[in-house]
Amino acid sequence: MLDLVAQSILSGIGVGCIYGLIGIGFCVIYNASGIVNFAQGAFVMMGGMVTYTAFARYGLPLPLAAALAIVLVAFAGVVLERLVVRPLWNRGSTMFVMILATLAAQIVIERLALLAAGDQPRTLPVFTDRPPLRILGLAVNFQFLWIVACSLLVIVLLALFFSSTKTGKAMRACSINRDAAALQGIPVSRMLALAFALSAALGAFAGILITPTQYTAFNVGVPFAISGFIAAIVGGFGRPLGAFTGGILLGVAQALAIVFLGSAFKNVAALSILLLFLFVRPTGLLGPAK
Amino acid sequence: MTAAVEPSRILSVEGLSARYGHVEALHPVDLHVEAGELVAVLGPNGAGKSTLMRALMGLVPTQGSVAFHGHAVPRRNPAKAAAMGLVLVPEGRGIFAPMTVAENLELGAYLLNDKQEFARRHDRVMTLFPRLKERLAQTAGSLSGGEQQMLAVGRALMSDPKLLLLDEPSLGLAPRVIEEILQTLGELNRAGLPIILVEQKAPLVLTLARRAYIMSVGSIAAEIDPRQVKSHDELAHFYLG
Ligand SMILES: Nc1ncnc2c1ncn2[C@@H]1O[C@H](COP(=O)(O)OP(=O)(O)OP(=O)(O)O)[C@@H](O)[C@H]1O
Ligand SMILES: [Mg+2]
Repeated sequence: MLDLVAQSILSGIGVGCIYGLIGIGFCVIYNASGIVNFAQGAFVMMGGMVTYTAFARYGLPLPLAAALAIVLVAFAGVVLERLVVRPLWNRGSTMFVMILATLAAQIVIERLALLAAGDQPRTLPVFTDRPPLRILGLAVNFQFLWIVACSLLVIVLLALFFSSTKTGKAMRACSINRDAAALQGIPVSRMLALAFALSAALGAFAGILITPTQYTAFNVGVPFAISGFIAAIVGGFGRPLGAFTGGILLGVAQALAIVFLGSAFKNVAALSILLLFLFVRPTGLLGPAK
Repeated sequence: MTAAVEPSRILSVEGLSARYGHVEALHPVDLHVEAGELVAVLGPNGAGKSTLMRALMGLVPTQGSVAFHGHAVPRRNPAKAAAMGLVLVPEGRGIFAPMTVAENLELGAYLLNDKQEFARRHDRVMTLFPRLKERLAQTAGSLSGGEQQMLAVGRALMSDPKLLLLDEPSLGLAPRVIEEILQTLGELNRAGLPIILVEQKAPLVLTLARRAYIMSVGSIAAEIDPRQVKSHDELAHFYLG
C-alpha cells in the first residue's frame, strides 16, 4: 500500500509539472494584460497535435517535430493576440469581454482541430524507450524524468529571462504599471504579443511532454486549461513559481484521490482544492502578485 | 541691449482637448514651449493639469495637434512620444515599486542600446542624486517619498529627454526635499533642458519659471510672467477668475 501511495505521488508530481507549466502560461498573459486567457488549453492541445502530425505524417525526427510545434504554436499565440485580443483592447473593451473572447477562441480552435485532424486520439512515443529505473523500490520511468527535468529547466530559463534580460524586465514593468512603462518608451502592445507567444510556447511544451504518457485529441485542451487555471489560483494568480507549486500540489492531490477514493474522484479533488483555496486562502500559496 | 536670439519654438500645441469617457476634462487649449524654457502650469485641484500632461503624451484619447521640433507627436502612442524625447514624470511618480532602483533606471534607458552612453547617463544621475547611489540594489518601493521622486526624475533623465514634463513633483514631500528637487530641476534647466513643471502651489515655481500657464476648470485661463506677480492675492485672482 505504501508503495502504491509513493508511486502515485510520483506520477502526481509528473502530471503536476504539466499543470504547473500551463498555470505559468496563465500568469504570463495575466501579468502582461490582466486577461485570463481561456484559450490556454488550445495551445496544449496544438502542441501535441502538431508534433504528432509533423512526426507521424511527415516523418520528421521527434525533437525537430517538437521544436517546430513550439514555434508554430507560439506564432498561433501571436495571431490570437492580434486577431482577437488587440481589436477589443484598442476599442477599450472591458476585461470581461476579452476573457470571453479567449473562451470563444478556445472553442473555435478546438473545432478547427477536429475538422483538420479528426476525432481520433493520437499519441507520441516516449522520448527515451527504456524500462523504468528502480529507485528505492519505485518504478521511475524515463518520461517522468523528462517531464520533471524539462519543467525545471523551463522555470530556470524563465526566471533568468524575467530577471536578467531587458525585454524580461520591460515585461515586468508593463505588469506593474502599464502607463509608466509606455512613458519609458516600452512598446506595451508588442510586450502583450510577446506574452501570448511565450505563454503559447509554454502550453505547447507542456502538451508535447505529457502526450507520450497519455494521448492527445482535439478536445484535451479544456481539462488541461482547467487544471492549469486551478494551479495558478492555488499559487496566487500571477505568480509563476506559485503556479508551478500549485500544479504539483494539484497533481499529487488528484493522484492520491484516485488511489484512496477511486478515479471518479479525480475532478472532485481538483475542485475541492480550488474551493479550499478560494475560501481559506484566496491570495494563494505565495500571496497576491501585486 | 544686444539683439535677443530669436527663440525657437520646440513644442506647439493647438486645440488639444481630452476626454474621459463622455466627459471632456480638457477643453481645447493652445500652448507652446521655447528652447531652453522652464514653463510652469499652475492651477487648483481638478483644474486639468494632469490631464493636460497625459494628453500631451497621448495617454488619453485626445483631439487637436501636438508638434515637437516640427514633427507631429502621435496620438495614443506614449512610447512613440517618449522615443521623440518627450518624457513625463507622472503624478504619483509611476516608479516600478517591486523592482530595484537600478532596474528602474535601466528601464528609463529602455530605448538606448549603447553601453558607454548608458554609463555616462547613469553617472550623471548618480551625481545629481547621490542618495540613489547607495540604494541601487534596494527595491524602489522601499525608498522614502523624496527618494522615490528623485528616482522618478533620474529614470526620466536616463532617456536623455528633449523636453521634461513633471507633474507635481512636490506632492506629499517635506519642504526641504521639495527645495532640493526644485533646485536640481533649476540646474537641469540652466544646463539647457526645457521643462514643463506642473504645480498646485504656485510659490514653489515662481523663482524658476519665466512663464506660467494658469489652468482652471479644464482650460488655460491665463498666461503670466511669474516675476511680475507681486503678491499672492494677485495670483489668487487668476485661480478664482
Ligand atoms: N481617470 C479619470 N476618469 C474620469 N475623470 C477623470 C479621470 N482623471 C481625472 N478626471 C477628472 O478630470 C478633471 C481634471 O483632473 P486632473 O487630474 O487633470 O486635475 P489636476 O489639475 O491634475 O488636479 P490635481 O491638482 O488634484 O492633481 C477632474 O474633474 C477629474 O475628476
Ligand atoms: Mg494632477
